[in-house]
Amino acid sequence: MTTRRFIVEPRGLASNRLKLLVPLGSIFAALVVSGIFLLLTGENPFAVYGQMVDASFGSSRSVAETLISATPLILTGVAAAIAFKMQVWNIGGEGQFLMGAVFAAGVAIWLGDGTPAAIILPAVILAGGVGGAFWASVSAVPRVYLGTNEIITTLMLNFIAINFVNFLIFGSNSPWRDPEASAFPSGRPIPESARLAEFFQRLDVGIFIAILLTIVAWYLMSKTRWGFAVRIVGDSTTTARYAGIGVSRKILGVFLLSGAYAGFAGGLFVSGPVGALDPRSLILGLGFTGIIVAALARLNLIAVIPVAILLGALNNSGPALQSIGVPTATVTMLQGAILLFAVAGEFFIANRIRRPDKVDDLAADAGVTA
Amino acid sequence: MATSNNGSLAVELRNVDKAFYGVKANDNVTFELARGEVHALLGENGAGKSTLCSILAGLYRPDAGEMRFEGEPVTFKSPKDALAAGVGMVYQHFRLVSNLTVAENLALGHPDMGIRIDQKKLSRAATELGDKYGLPVDPTARIWQLSVGEQQRVEILKLLYRNAKILILDEPTAVLTPQEGQALFKTMRQMAGEGRSVIFVSHKLDEVKQVSDRVTVLRNGKTVGGVATEDAEPKDLARMMVGRDLELPTRDASGEPGRVVLGIHDLHVKSDRGLPAVQGISIDVHGGEVVGIAGVSGNGQRELAQGIVGLRPTDKGTVEIDGEDVTSASVLDRIQKGCAYVPQSRLGMGLAPGLTTEENLALKAFRRPPYSRGRALVASAFKDEGARQIEQYDIRGVRPGLPIRLLSGGNLQKALLAREVELEPKVMLLRSPTRGLDVGATEVVRNLVLSERDRGTGVLLISEDLDELMALSDRLLVIYEGEIVGEMPTEEASAERLGLLMAGQRDGSET
Repeated sequence: MTTRRFIVEPRGLASNRLKLLVPLGSIFAALVVSGIFLLLTGENPFAVYGQMVDASFGSSRSVAETLISATPLILTGVAAAIAFKMQVWNIGGEGQFLMGAVFAAGVAIWLGDGTPAAIILPAVILAGGVGGAFWASVSAVPRVYLGTNEIITTLMLNFIAINFVNFLIFGSNSPWRDPEASAFPSGRPIPESARLAEFFQRLDVGIFIAILLTIVAWYLMSKTRWGFAVRIVGDSTTTARYAGIGVSRKILGVFLLSGAYAGFAGGLFVSGPVGALDPRSLILGLGFTGIIVAALARLNLIAVIPVAILLGALNNSGPALQSIGVPTATVTMLQGAILLFAVAGEFFIANRIRRPDKVDDLAADAGVTA
Repeated sequence: MATSNNGSLAVELRNVDKAFYGVKANDNVTFELARGEVHALLGENGAGKSTLCSILAGLYRPDAGEMRFEGEPVTFKSPKDALAAGVGMVYQHFRLVSNLTVAENLALGHPDMGIRIDQKKLSRAATELGDKYGLPVDPTARIWQLSVGEQQRVEILKLLYRNAKILILDEPTAVLTPQEGQALFKTMRQMAGEGRSVIFVSHKLDEVKQVSDRVTVLRNGKTVGGVATEDAEPKDLARMMVGRDLELPTRDASGEPGRVVLGIHDLHVKSDRGLPAVQGISIDVHGGEVVGIAGVSGNGQRELAQGIVGLRPTDKGTVEIDGEDVTSASVLDRIQKGCAYVPQSRLGMGLAPGLTTEENLALKAFRRPPYSRGRALVASAFKDEGARQIEQYDIRGVRPGLPIRLLSGGNLQKALLAREVELEPKVMLLRSPTRGLDVGATEVVRNLVLSERDRGTGVLLISEDLDELMALSDRLLVIYEGEIVGEMPTEEASAERLGLLMAGQRDGSET
C-alpha cells in the first residue's frame, strides 16, 4: 500500500565515471533546450551550433583566439576554485584581476624600455599576482580577524577596482594613460620586452604559464602538508582547531593565494594580447566568468582547464553568430543554460533514483494481502 | 504488570522496509504495540530503532510495508498527521524553542490555538498535567533556563497536552541521573495504566527489565523477536541483541600508578557566555590510572576538557603535562607533548567529516614522517598506514574515497581512538567515549582505553554514563557546577551515592 514506484535516496559515493558523465550530460541537455528555443525563433540549431564550432575551432586563427580567451579564464577559475574549496567565498576575482593588471602594467612602464626580457617579464607577471593578492587582502584581513562577510566586501571591491581602472585612463593623467593617444584616451603601451612571445597566430606563451600555474596550485593543494591542513580547515574549522592547525593563518593564506591567481590572470593578459592597461580590453567580466568556470569544474583544479577552453570558445563564437543574423545573446543564453543544467546535475551526482527491489515488491504485496 | 492483549492493538507494523544510502535501516520489520503497555524497543546502535520510531511518528515514510493504527491502515505524511492520530515522539535532541516559555512551547503547533494564546490557561494546564503525572516544571520558565531533565519533562507534557495515546521515548534515560530516571519510569507506568501506550527505546537491559511489559528486539534492521519482559532473562536479551554471548570488559584491580602525567591546579575557565564554568578544579592523573569524572551534562565538563587541551583560554590556575607547565601553550604544543583528546562530538570536532578515513587517521600526525617528508606529503604512507590501522582497529565500511561521515558511529569512534592511541600519548582525555555506541563497539572502545592505561597512559574519563565510569575508572570524582564535590575509589562508589552528588547534594560520608 505504501509501496512506492520510485525511491530517491542519497548516494554514498559517486563514481568518477559519473562525475564525468553528468557534466557532459548537462552540456548536452543545455544544447537540446537551447536548440528548441532556436527552432522556435526560426533558426536551424544545427546551423547555429555548426557556425559556433566553426568560429571557435574551425581554423588555426579561431583555435588561437579561443585559447587566448581561455588563458585568463583558467587562472580566474583556479582563483575561485581554491577559495570556494576552503569555504572562502571570494567573488572578487574581477577586481583582483584588474588590480593585477594595474600592478603589472605599472611595473612594466616603470621599468621602461630597454630592460631585458629576462628581468621585466617575471617582474610583470609577479606584479600581477602581488596586485591581486593586495586587493584580496583588503577583504581577507578583516574577514579573518574581525569576521566581516567576505562575499559583500569582495563584491564591492570589484566595482571600486573597475572605477579605479577607468579613472587611471579616462579620468586622470596617470602614468598608465597613453599621452600620445589623440582621439580617445587609452592605456600606455608597455615596453616590447615586457610582452609575451606569440608562437601560433596571435596566441602567446601565456597559455603555458597559466597551465603551469594551475598545476602548481593543484600540487600545493593536494600534495603538500600546507594543502592538507588547508583541506582540513575547509572541511571543518572546529576540527582543524582541535587538530592544532592555525585556522586564521590558513584562511588568510588561501584568500591571498586566490587573489594572486586572479592577479596573475590580469598580468598575463596585459603582457599578452592587450599590451596596455586598456579598460575596453580588460573589463570583460573575466573575473566573474571565473566563478562559472570553477562551478562547472566542480572545484577540481585540473578540470578548470578544459572548462575554461569551452567557455572561451563560447565567448568567441558570439560575433560570428551575428554574421548569420543570430543575436549574440544566444551565447549568453547557452552559457546560462549550461550553468543551470550543471547545477541541476549535482542532484544526480548526490542522489540516485531506483525502483524498489523485486523482493521488496513481493514482500509488500504479501503484506497488503495478508 | 499488564500483559499484552491482541484484541486491543494500538499500532501494528507489517513488513516495513526503509533504506538509507542503499542500506536497509528497517528490513521487513513487524511490530505490535498493545494498548496500555510499556513496550521496550531494544537493539544496538544502528539496529533500526530510531528509524522504526521515526516511521511511527510520521517523520519518515516507509519504502514498503503496512502500518495499521487501531486496526485501520494509515499513511502518515508528516509528524502532524501522526500527532493528529495521537502518536507523538520525544526525540533524543529535543524540539523545543529555547527562547519561549514552557507554556508557549505547549501551544506550538497545537491545532486548537488561535491567533492569541492564553498564557494563564496554558500555565494552569501545564501545572495540572505536571502534578498529575509527576512531571513538575515551572510553566513560566523559559526553556534555556531549564535543566536537560526538565526540558525532557516539557517534551512529554507537550504530548500529554495534545492527549497523545502513543508516546515514543527515544533513549530518554541517556540524559538523566539515576534518580531522574526512576521518576520517569513512574510516569511511564502511570501513563500506561491509563490505557496509553509507551514505546521505550533503550539499549540498557536493566532499565528495560525494570519498566517494560514487553520487549521487541531489533538487530541489523530486522525484528529478532518480541517477548514478555517477565519471561526474558537479561542474558537472553543481550544475546538476541548482539547475536552472540558477550561480556563487557571491566578493569582488573589497579596496578601501581606512576608519576603525575596530568596536573591541574585550581583551574578556572569561563563558558561561552562568559560565566564561570570551571571554578577551581584540581586533579592529578598518574600514569597507568583511569580517573573518572561523573556529572550531569552542562556542569563544566566541556569547559574543563577544552581548558586542558588548550581550545579555551583559562582564567586562573595551571595545567601541567608530564611535569611541564602548558597553561599558555597552543593546542599543537600540547598534542606534541603527548596530550590526546577524544571529544564528545565525533563528527563535530574529532573528525573532518568530508575527508576520507585514511586522511582522518593522519589528522594529527601528518606533520611528521611517515606522512610527510619536508613540506611534501607522502601519498603511499597515507595508504599504507591507513590500511594498517583500519585492519588493526577493525574499522569497517571504509571504501576508497568515501568520506568518513558515512561510517557508523561505532566505526567513527574506533577511527578516532585509533588515531589518538597511535600518537602514543602520555595523557588521554576522553569525553563520553561510548555514548551512543552499540554493545559490540562499546566493548572495543573499553578494551582500547584499558590497554592504554596498562601501557602507562594517564586517562581522564569525563562521562555521564555511570556504568562506563564504574567499569573503567580506578578513582571517581563528581563534578557539580564547576567544582569537584566528591571523590572516592571506584570500589566505594554506588549509583545512588554518585547520583546524589551529581544532583548537587554534598556527600555526607568521608571520601
